[in-house]
Amino acid sequence: MHPNEVKILNKCLCQMSEAVMAVVKPEMKSYIWLQTADGSVQQVEEEVAVFCPMICREVIQTGMGSSKNYAISLPQRVNPAILGLVLDYCRFHHVPGRSNKECKNFDEKFIRMDTKRLCELTSAADSLQLKPLVDITSRALARIIEGKTPEEIRETFHLPDDLTEEEKLEPLRNITDDPRIRLLNRLYARKRKELKEREKLKNVETVEEQLDDRSVDDLLSFINGGDGDTKVARTNRSKKKNRRRKDQSKVLHDLSSACHVGEVSNGLLASSSTCSKLQDSAVTSFSPNVEFDDGDIDDDIDPAMKEELDREVEDFARRLNSDWPERMQEILSLGQERRLMPICMGKYMSVDQR
Amino acid sequence: MEMDLDKISNLPGHVIDQILSQLSIKEAVKTSILSSKWRFKWATLPHLVFDNQCFPVSSQDQTIVKNKLVSIVDHVLLLHNGPIYKFKLSHRDLLGITDIDRWILHLSRCSIKEFVLEIWKGQRYKMPSSLFLCQNLVHLELFNCFLKPPLTFKGFGSLKSLDLQHVTLAQDVFERLISSCPLLERLTLMNFDGFAHLNINAPNLQYFDIGGVFEDISFENTSHLAVVAIGLYVNVGDDQKQVYSNSSNLLKFFVHLPLIRRLEVQSYFLKYLAVGTLPGRLPIPCVNLNFLSLRINFNDAEEVLTALCLLRSSPNLQELEILARPEELAAVAKFINFQEDDHSSFTFNQLQLVKIFGISGTQRELNFINLVLLTSPVLERMTVKPASIDGSWELVKELLRFRRASTIAEVIYLDP
Repeated sequence: MHPNEVKILNKCLCQMSEAVMAVVKPEMKSYIWLQTADGSVQQVEEEVAVFCPMICREVIQTGMGSSKNYAISLPQRVNPAILGLVLDYCRFHHVPGRSNKECKNFDEKFIRMDTKRLCELTSAADSLQLKPLVDITSRALARIIEGKTPEEIRETFHLPDDLTEEEKLEPLRNITDDPRIRLLNRLYARKRKELKEREKLKNVETVEEQLDDRSVDDLLSFINGGDGDTKVARTNRSKKKNRRRKDQSKVLHDLSSACHVGEVSNGLLASSSTCSKLQDSAVTSFSPNVEFDDGDIDDDIDPAMKEELDREVEDFARRLNSDWPERMQEILSLGQERRLMPICMGKYMSVDQR
Repeated sequence: MEMDLDKISNLPGHVIDQILSQLSIKEAVKTSILSSKWRFKWATLPHLVFDNQCFPVSSQDQTIVKNKLVSIVDHVLLLHNGPIYKFKLSHRDLLGITDIDRWILHLSRCSIKEFVLEIWKGQRYKMPSSLFLCQNLVHLELFNCFLKPPLTFKGFGSLKSLDLQHVTLAQDVFERLISSCPLLERLTLMNFDGFAHLNINAPNLQYFDIGGVFEDISFENTSHLAVVAIGLYVNVGDDQKQVYSNSSNLLKFFVHLPLIRRLEVQSYFLKYLAVGTLPGRLPIPCVNLNFLSLRINFNDAEEVLTALCLLRSSPNLQELEILARPEELAAVAKFINFQEDDHSSFTFNQLQLVKIFGISGTQRELNFINLVLLTSPVLERMTVKPASIDGSWELVKELLRFRRASTIAEVIYLDP
């Protein structure tokens, strides 16, 4: 017989046997056959299975699922155990007329499972396009993450701690070991001071310029968020300078507790225990917390050096003003390129040299 | 192997986005130090919300707070990678600072769809011209802002929902804004100034909620409008009544609202509707109206007549709410015939719930309650709550006597 004929004959025989089965079966329900990636096949009530949009689509578009041989292949992310859970969800929710309270109660009890299974369930629900289930599982996962420290999160989800200390800091870290950046920081401070002076002179004018019209100086001041705060910042800075040696972690925490992205490295942190203490505390980037940076630098340098550095800064300022736009571009793109490498002294490694 | 146990890192991007967007921005960004895979998962979050919950910045010093906020938003925007669909900035301590202009410019390049800006302190913040370049906006919500679009502004072609509260707009700006957003479905306007004539020309409008001071309101081409709540916060002067005495505000109001389903008449708006010669009932009944809430001054005969006219024209009302506004007695106590003489009396064949709050127990109020009880054969519950304890006992005695058309009606009295 021709293979196609065999196929057709098989299908007819299947349908005939199903018809017989339908007569024999007491219930009026129809069933759908589902096959998971491991090859095992399950029989599920049709009304429950088609609650999943993906299965529903398969049934309608391809007509599959009506028998064991024509079982619908489920996506790889759905294993038999998880499929069971998904179907439990569908079995409850496909019944119309359930009150909101009933649904809420069911959902709350339903998502109580270990984290690993919750992740698998989220994945399966997403591949079956069952959005309500994705919503409640993702919310549950968010609740698990919320409020935990990074170590706790890593432990809960078995995440490898494979970022180096520097990587944890980038691209938001306080880069104080590169003299170029240090000079830049001082320059910013200086510029702000100048601007403040200038502001005082023309304080009558209320300027309502468009962003495009603003000079480079103004752009700088925007970036630094400094517009008359320098005085206040100064006093704060001196206060912090005194406290700095005593209780660095506390100061850092106070400063920018809102921007929790990583740790601050001032070359003083060696042990991981210190690291973890500061894990959740402030991170300073190289522009907005310039005030603090400057305070740092001033502490370390003696007056003679300071003079020299001042001169360097003036020089730097002149150079900067001449090619400001390109320079800014360079700095920003540097940050992006060097995601995985710390900025080392004097060595700019291009992308292909890494 | 750790690899096999880590089930979360390999979830699809949109699922991770969904998980992270349920955390505060602070917590979301914190995930960047979890592992190498998690470094930039947060950076593709399409929803960015900066408010008091997201990062509690507590400091008495205004400048420190401001600097922190600016620094955080700057950082997040700069490190963010990908389209930003929703951006909300609403921090209690944030004054209208010019950094917002810069952020809006950035967002206008990111296909922003939902933009919410709430300036809680200080004067009206002037929205920058780059806001009007955000052509993908679907929802715009502004609080305490001043809008003056450039002359080249052609409208928001995709805008479906507009929520403006405590805003200043010029009259022509307002009209241009409404008429140039053809897809507008929801409009909320609260406490606005700069314009007083509301002419709403919005073919797709379904939800309309306003509260403020205005002189007149009219709808044009609003055949889909289903939910309307209007509050007129200023008392309509009696001199106005003389001017408009020929045309009825009520009639004009309902001409373009055939599909209206829910109506809330708040503050002094009923008084505005009462201006003009009233018909017994509207020419076209509001057949879809199933919820009506009226703030009414029972001492003002015109208002009561307007209310009756409206009620007679709403045969399918299911829920009625009457909130009494205690005002001084009118100079002439006009007699109102609650029952119609010439037409057959109307019945509320679907009215199930009635609430009557803030009454004092005057004869007119009692007549009104009596009328409602007699004309609602399927009434399930009527809740009555007076304004004060004075005369409440008398009120209860009267309520007890009233005949009810519905055999299943409960009349519940609540203490003030």
